[in-house]
Amino acid sequence: MIRAAVRQSVVSMRLYFRNPLAMSYGYLFPTIFLAAYWGLYRFDRVPLVRHMGELLTVTVLGGACFGLPTTLVSEREKGVWRRYRLLPVPVAALVGSTVAARYLLVVTAGLLQLALAMVIGMPAPQHPFDLWLAFTVVAFAFLGCGLVIAMMADTVPAVQALGQTIFLPMLIIGGIAVPIATLPDWAQHASAFFPGRYAVEALQACVTGAGIASAPFSVSALLVVGVAGCIAGAMMFRWDEHERWAARADRGWVIVALAAWAGVGIAAEFRGAVATPRAASNAPLASPTRQTDIVIESAAGSIQTLRATNAEVAAGARPTATPNTAAPSPANANAVSTFTGTHPSSWQAVSQADIDRDLAFDRLPPDGGIITPIAAAIQQPDPGTAEFVASVAAALPAWAPGSVADPVQRARNLLYVAAVPDLLQMDIERYVPAVIYARLQEQTARSDLIKILYWIALHPFDGDDRAVDEMASLGLPPASATNLDDVRARAAVYGVKLLGRLIGRIDTDTK
Amino acid sequence: MRGASLEIREGEIFGLLGPNGAGKTTLLECIVGLRVPDDGEITVAGLDARRRTRDVQQRLGVMLQSTALQDKITPREALQLFATFYRSAADPDQLLERFSLTDKANAMFETLSGGQRQRLALAIAFVNRPDVLLLDEPTAGLDAQSRRELREEIARFKKDGHTVLLTTHDVDEAERLCARVAIMDGGVIIATGDPRALTADSASMQSVSLTTKPPLDAALLVDIPGTLDVTSDGNTITFRTPDPRGTLRELTTRLEQSGTELLELHVQRATLEDVFLRLTGAENDR
Repeated sequence: MIRAAVRQSVVSMRLYFRNPLAMSYGYLFPTIFLAAYWGLYRFDRVPLVRHMGELLTVTVLGGACFGLPTTLVSEREKGVWRRYRLLPVPVAALVGSTVAARYLLVVTAGLLQLALAMVIGMPAPQHPFDLWLAFTVVAFAFLGCGLVIAMMADTVPAVQALGQTIFLPMLIIGGIAVPIATLPDWAQHASAFFPGRYAVEALQACVTGAGIASAPFSVSALLVVGVAGCIAGAMMFRWDEHERWAARADRGWVIVALAAWAGVGIAAEFRGAVATPRAASNAPLASPTRQTDIVIESAAGSIQTLRATNAEVAAGARPTATPNTAAPSPANANAVSTFTGTHPSSWQAVSQADIDRDLAFDRLPPDGGIITPIAAAIQQPDPGTAEFVASVAAALPAWAPGSVADPVQRARNLLYVAAVPDLLQMDIERYVPAVIYARLQEQTARSDLIKILYWIALHPFDGDDRAVDEMASLGLPPASATNLDDVRARAAVYGVKLLGRLIGRIDTDTK
Repeated sequence: MRGASLEIREGEIFGLLGPNGAGKTTLLECIVGLRVPDDGEITVAGLDARRRTRDVQQRLGVMLQSTALQDKITPREALQLFATFYRSAADPDQLLERFSLTDKANAMFETLSGGQRQRLALAIAFVNRPDVLLLDEPTAGLDAQSRRELREEIARFKKDGHTVLLTTHDVDEAERLCARVAIMDGGVIIATGDPRALTADSASMQSVSLTTKPPLDAALLVDIPGTLDVTSDGNTITFRTPDPRGTLRELTTRLEQSGTELLELHVQRATLEDVFLRLTGAENDR
C-alpha cells in the first residue's frame, strides 16, 4: 500500500514536470509575482523580505487551489480515476498520494521563490523551521480548498472559473496582493473571512516576525479551513465526472467548507484584531516617496536637509563612515548639508536655540504612519509581538554596539535598532522605539541626550554603521540587504521624534 | 437491469451480446464494483464480490470500454504503477513484449494509436496475473489487424485455463471466441447458451439461394410449403425455410419438370446474428 502510494506520488510528479502548462502555473507564475514585487518595491527600498508571506501565499494558492483540482479533474474527465477505482486499494491512498505529490511540488516552488529572493538580496528568513511548518499548514488549508473545487467542478474550465472566484477576491481584498493596512475598513473586515490573510500572517511571522508561535490565531484559522476542506472533499469524492451532486449531502458539504471560512471570520471579529493598528489609528499614511524635511532652512541661509527618502542621497556620494563623530567630516557636509558659522561645531556645543532654529517637529512623519512609526501608549501589541519586543529589550544591555564609549555612536547604534525593524516593516517596528528611548535615557544624562539627538539629526551620515549588521543577538535580521543610507535616515528621524518627547515638543497622545 | 442471472464456468470465454444500451456494460460494472446493484448476489472465483470487493479486485483483470491514462504517462510507467497496487504482479517488461509495446515503452500515452492504447489497456488488465478477465468491447474501434491480434491474445488466455467474460455487439466476434453467450436486451438476459445450440434453435430458419438458367420465376416457389421471404435478383433467387431438405426435394422436381438448369446452390444455417436479430426484435425494425 505504502509502496503503491509512493509510486503514485512519484508518477504524479513526473507527469507534472512533463506538462509545460502545469510547470508554468507552478513555477513561472510565482516567479513573475516575485519579479513584480521586486520591481514595485525596490525603488522604494521596502525590502522583499517584508512581502515573502504574500509571495509564498500566492505560490501555495496557485499550486493548491488551481493545480491540484486541475490535475484531478482532467484525469477524472479522461477516465483515469474510473480505472483507478478498480484497483484493490482504498480511495484515501490514491487521493492522499496525489495530494502529497502536490504538496511536494508546492514546497519546491516555495523554495525556488525563496532562493530567487535571496539571490536578489533578501536576507534569510528569521525562523526557517517555523517557516516550513507554517508553509505546510497553509498548504494543508489550500489543498483542502482545492479538493472541494475538484469535487464541485466537472471540467477543467469549471475549475478555472471556480478557482478565480476564490483567487481574485483573496488577492485583492484578502490581504495578499494589497496590504491589509491600505485597505478600506470594510475590506479589512472582509479579509478576515478569507484564509489568504491568515496564510500571509502565519508565513510572514516566520520570515520577519517572532516565528509561528506568534501567530496562533492565523495557524488555528488555517487548520480549521484545511480540516473542513479535506473532510468536505473526501465526503464529496467522486470517481466519475457524471457523479456530481450524486448524493444530496454533497451540497451540504460545500456549506461545511464555507462555514469554516465564515466561522474563522466571525472568530476574528470577536477577537477584535481584524482592523490593523495602522488603520485603527486613523493617522494619515506618510507616502514613502515623499521627501520628509525635518531640518529646516536656517536663518543664515544654509541648507540642511535630511532626506528621509533617499533618491537624492543615493545619487550623491555617500561619505565614508568614520568612528569619530565629534565633528562633521567635510565630505559629509558636502553630501547632505552645508554648515555656516552659526551652527555648533560639536555636539557638546548644541544649544536650545539650535534646536528651535533647525528642527521642525511639526513636519515629522506621523507616528501612526508607515515611516518611523511609534505606538501610542494605548496601543497593545499582540502576545507574539510583545514577546519579541521584550526579548529585544532583554538583549539590549548585553549588545556590544549599544555600550560603546562614544556617546554619539552609542546613541546612533541604538537608534539603528529602531530603524531596522521599521525598514523591514516588522510587526515590532512601532514598539521598539519605546525600548530604545528608555535605554538611551538610562545611559545618558538628559542634557547630553538632547544635544546628541540633535547632533545625529543634523549629521545622520556621520559615524559608523557596522552595528546594522550585528543585530543577530537581538533577534533582528541583518539589514545589509537594505540600503544603509535608509537605516541612517530612519535612525535620524527616530532621533528627532525621541528628542521631541524628551523636551516636550511632541504630544505623545496626539502624534 | 432486471433479474439478470448468469453462471460463467471456469476456463471458458463467455460473451455478453446485445445492442447498444442493452445493459451489458452495466452488468459488467456491477461485477467489477463500479456500480452497486439494488439486490442480488455476485460471486467471482468463489468470493462474494459485494462483500469482499478488494479480494475480488486482486483476482480480476479488467479492461474498460473507454480506458484512458494520463497524456504524459508512458506504457512502462503505467504498467509499473499498476503493478504496485497488487499482491502479485507480472513483469512490466514481459507484458510490453507480449502485447507488442516494447517499441513504445517510453512513448507518451497521447502519442499512441488507438490499437496501441487498447493493447496497453489489455496489458494493464493482465498486470495482476488475473484468474478472471473482464473485457468491455475489447475490439471496438480497432483495425482488422489489431482486432485479430487481440482475439488471439484472448484465446491464449483461455488456453491457459483462465476465465473470460467479454461484452460485444459484434456477433461475429462472439461466435468466433465464445464457448457460450448471453443475449441481452433492455436490461434483461433473453437467451443463454452455446452459439451453435442457439442457431440450431427450431425457430431459426436456414437460408437457401440458387442460381438457374434461365432465371426462375419466383411465383414457382411461393406455393412450396415452408418457403418464406422469397426474393429474386437476376439469375439468383433466395428464400428462407425451416425445412431445407423437404423444400429442396420439391424444388428439384419442379426444376426438372420445367427444364431449368441449376447452376449453383447454397444452403446456410442460421447465424448467431439471425438469432440475435430475431430475439432483440431488430429484425422487425428493418
